[in-house]
Amino acid sequence: MIKWSEEQEMVRKTVRDFVDTEIRPHREELEFGDLPPYDLLRKMFSTFGLTDSAKASFAKRIAREKAIEAGEANSDEGEGTRTRDENTVAFSVIPIIELCRVCPGMVTAMGVSMGLTASAIQAKGTIAQKERWVLDLLTLDKVGAWAITEPDSGSDAFGSMKATARRDGDEYVLNGSKTFITNGPYADTIVFICKLDEGNPAADRKVVQFVLDSGMEGLEQPKAFRKMGIHSSPTGMLFLNDVRVGRDRLLGESEEAFSGSGGREASKASFSIERTGVAAMALGIVDRCLELCIDYSREREQFGQPIGQFQLIQLKLANMAVAKMNLQNLVFSHIEMAAKNVPVSFTDASAAKLYAAQSAAAVANEAVQLFGGNGYMSEYEVEQLARDAKVLQIYAGTDEIQISQIARNLLAED
Amino acid sequence: MAMNIVVCVKQIPDPADPGELDPNTKTLKRDVKLILDEADSYGVEMALQLVDAAGGGEVTLVSMAPDDEVGGIRTALAMGAAKAVLVSDEALVGSDALGTAKVLAKAIERAGDADLVITATESSDGYTGTVPEQVAELLGLPSITFAKSIEVDGNTIKVKRQTEAGYDDVEAPTPAVISVTAGVVEPRYPSFKGIMAAKSKPVDEVTVADLGLDADAVGWAGARQEIVEIATAETREAGTIIEDEGEGYAQIVDFLADLKVI
Ligand SMILES: Cc1cc2nc3c(=O)[nH]c(=O)nc-3n(C[C@H](O)[C@H](O)[C@H](O)COP(=O)(O)OP(=O)(O)OC[C@H]3O[C@@H](n4cnc5c(N)ncnc54)[C@H](O)[C@@H]3O)c2cc1C
Ligand SMILES: Cc1cc2nc3c(=O)[nH]c(=O)nc-3n(C[C@H](O)[C@H](O)[C@H](O)COP(=O)(O)OP(=O)(O)OC[C@H]3O[C@@H](n4cnc5c(N)ncnc54)[C@H](O)[C@@H]3O)c2cc1C
Repeated sequence: MIKWSEEQEMVRKTVRDFVDTEIRPHREELEFGDLPPYDLLRKMFSTFGLTDSAKASFAKRIAREKAIEAGEANSDEGEGTRTRDENTVAFSVIPIIELCRVCPGMVTAMGVSMGLTASAIQAKGTIAQKERWVLDLLTLDKVGAWAITEPDSGSDAFGSMKATARRDGDEYVLNGSKTFITNGPYADTIVFICKLDEGNPAADRKVVQFVLDSGMEGLEQPKAFRKMGIHSSPTGMLFLNDVRVGRDRLLGESEEAFSGSGGREASKASFSIERTGVAAMALGIVDRCLELCIDYSREREQFGQPIGQFQLIQLKLANMAVAKMNLQNLVFSHIEMAAKNVPVSFTDASAAKLYAAQSAAAVANEAVQLFGGNGYMSEYEVEQLARDAKVLQIYAGTDEIQISQIARNLLAED
Repeated sequence: MAMNIVVCVKQIPDPADPGELDPNTKTLKRDVKLILDEADSYGVEMALQLVDAAGGGEVTLVSMAPDDEVGGIRTALAMGAAKAVLVSDEALVGSDALGTAKVLAKAIERAGDADLVITATESSDGYTGTVPEQVAELLGLPSITFAKSIEVDGNTIKVKRQTEAGYDDVEAPTPAVISVTAGVVEPRYPSFKGIMAAKSKPVDEVTVADLGLDADAVGWAGARQEIVEIATAETREAGTIIEDEGEGYAQIVDFLADLKVI
């Protein structure tokens, strides 16, 4: 894929119109008024007919899985080999880019709910669990959260994880604290990742995952943290104090679902989804920054000429254009690979995420610089975009973690 | 009862990037990419809603534009119109409003039996606001202008016709030509599925000859209207700024009284 197709251009324009008329006017409330993003996201989804198409494709997928389970269909012709129309893939990426031009936090909230949480259940859940939780997440009727990080366990997510599940008859009793959980305060459906405590040392415990509903006894969802950026994405803690669940909430209804390679594959798959999404987010941020900076370079005059005449300003613009070109190429290649069902390797996903996060943060920071004092003021969009872009270097694996992942792969003996 | 509606849609240069006037022909250069005139998006929306309410039928677009332009038509097809007739012909260059109306009338006939023809009250680029009535006359149909709402009751069309004071209730038998005021409905965003479907919807591309019109009746040859001069609009004079030091209202009252508006 080397450029947007005619239909993709039309979708871009339509989504941009929607974002400009329906979302941009709420920027102030989203940024400083604690307005949760979900109703605006729902409006966007129903406007473009995405709620209906999510329902249709979910019904098709479940019907297929049931047929496979009943031995009426062959699983070889399944997901793994199916190619998709490039437009279909692009149509899911374009809203990410367009929303990030105005409000990257909305993409975080949406991505964690419809992407991470739904795909975690979709990947490992039983058919009954998928029917119970996935569709509502895909239509955004329910808000989802995916909880791995803990106060004492971040980059080393599994190594120092303290959250536990203990068997108690046919049930499990869950305990632990999770932090920095996107959508935590508002989530209806929570994927809770913990370790099975069988009285064995923490390092030997199996990873298991449970699906929780808000309102369950012992589950607390305190209000959102104040934070540097992406204010439109509520982030909070989760406290579990002896939460009792049946086996029907154990993902895959098996304690082995995440043991051995199954677990590693599942978390790598989650990381890959997150990381390719970050390239699209970065593109939106960079695209908007560049656009704003070009205008400002023409309009703002100092020393009797537009600041765009100064070579140091020109260097900033040129660097932004280079970043935009690279990000766009990354996004194009991700779209084509997804359409052709070529998996993105874990290392490539890490490299893409690292580059995307660093360039978005650098570009947005330079945009503030180019705007001078105005750039530091909330009234100018670049101030928000710079605060928002920073998070890309932290969540979904920090820059440092991406770097060590890439290096480990480079140095691995085969 | 199914309802078939023809909507005239003009494709115009993007007002955000309008291009320029040709000093020789004194008309707008139309060699840029054209888009759906926003004024017509209300008619498209109104038609889609009427067809929905009727529980059947379809919306057909009619447009006259240079160079087989479909940019604007595709937008309306993506919104939900079923098909289009596009008239494009070198001979049409320089058409005046009447020439355009002749072409549109023929194209509307070609589009098939319509219960209703909808236009905007005026286009955003030419805005003579005369084409709809000319089309009605040429088709021998009743014409209602400035509709703010349309209701269909059997073979009767009931329109609230916007006036300076409010609105008049007006009725006409179907078929009729109705021009719709801008802003009276909220044009829908095309859905992604609609955008995908738009590409495969039929666009009947026809020439002046296909419509059985004489090339002399349209374009520069047929134009009975001549643009004698084009000039830059005068820049508006700066207004008066009143500093309010407690008595500002009095100055405003005097000003309005001077204008004899109060
Ligand atoms: C806005 C936001 C939303 C989030 N949403 C979610 C969510 O929905 N669900 C969820 O589970 N988590 C979420 N997180 C958590 C996020 O994934 C973690 O913050 C991230 O993985 C880093 O973990 P940490 O904060 O504990 O930092 P630490 O791991 O304590 O890192 C501190 C510093 O040490 C560096 N470091 C750590 N290990 C190494 C190493 N081996 N080599 C070199 N440097 C190292 C890090 O790069 C960093 O610079 C979110 C975080 C934020 C900020
Ligand atoms: C090759 C070519 C060159 C042209 N060059 C010019 C030009 O330079 N300047 C110019 O103003 N026009 C040009 N036209 C368009 C045509 O001449 C105008 O449509 C005509 O003058 C109508 O004037 P108006 O826009 O004032 O109509 P109005 O009476 O203001 O229009 C009212 C409504 O009638 C309908 N309508 C009007 N025109 C069309 C149309 N073409 N197709 C479908 N529906 C329509 C719309 O619903 C519109 O909102 C050109 C057309 C062609 C094919």
